[in-house]
Amino acid sequence: MTLVAHAVARAPRPAVETRGLRDRPLVWSEIDGIGVWSTDWDSAMTFETADLMEHHRVVERLCAAETCLPMRFGTVFASDEGARAALLPRTAELREALERVAGKSELAVTLLWKEHPAPARTPAEGFGPGTQFMKERGAAYRAQEAERARAAELAGSLIAELAAEQPLVWHETCTTPHVAVSLAVLTPSERALERKRELEALVSRFVDVAGVVSGPWPPYSFARVR
Amino acid sequence: MKEFTPADASLLELVDRLLHKGVVLAGEATISVAGVDLIYLGLNVVLAAVETLERAERRAS
Repeated sequence: MTLVAHAVARAPRPAVETRGLRDRPLVWSEIDGIGVWSTDWDSAMTFETADLMEHHRVVERLCAAETCLPMRFGTVFASDEGARAALLPRTAELREALERVAGKSELAVTLLWKEHPAPARTPAEGFGPGTQFMKERGAAYRAQEAERARAAELAGSLIAELAAEQPLVWHETCTTPHVAVSLAVLTPSERALERKRELEALVSRFVDVAGVVSGPWPPYSFARVR
Repeated sequence: MKEFTPADASLLELVDRLLHKGVVLAGEATISVAGVDLIYLGLNVVLAAVETLERAERRAS
């Protein structure tokens, strides 16, 4: 038996009708008031890319039925006993995390650079190729530093606008050459769509970045336990 | 390089969450997908989605 984990929830076993990956049955493994939903998987089968998105859909359905903490994709247990043994030392932290995300959904805010110009080539008359190289490298470094500073400024202004949710905001800057800011905010599920529209209006005010607001999703970024 | 669209950004954010966020428990195993390590899978998923979008655009035009 191999179990592919999807989400942690409080016991007793929540009533859900959904199926697991590739329409296989879901299994509930429970210990000390906490349980984990997994797909009963055939260990001879390999994961395909589509299973990643199917995991997301299963987690969405589980979270819609009951407060859940999504498990990281790719988590497998060798058996029901293995799942329960993995849960046991963390049940107190998992309960705390479940309280933190109860009734809440995650929205993602991504700020993409509108222009990503290559650093200008600095004419260095009278200098050799080594000096030219160093000058270009210096210019590239300064451009990168300026970009980082602007990204931090953008993140700061977004976080200031999210005053109500500030303890429930997580962000990173310059995660890829295209992305200035990647931010996650946990918001009450019943207000998530309204909050999404508010965030879309907010990010549209920035001139040098394009804002994309995604979700609502299950609380992936807020499901970590220490 | 292909332009990075808002749809790509949304997909990238979701894939990043599926692969790098969520509950991690001690003693678990993290495995690969179709022989590709999970750490590289995110980029592949985004690239596949971009290719799908491009094919759809070509069919529509």
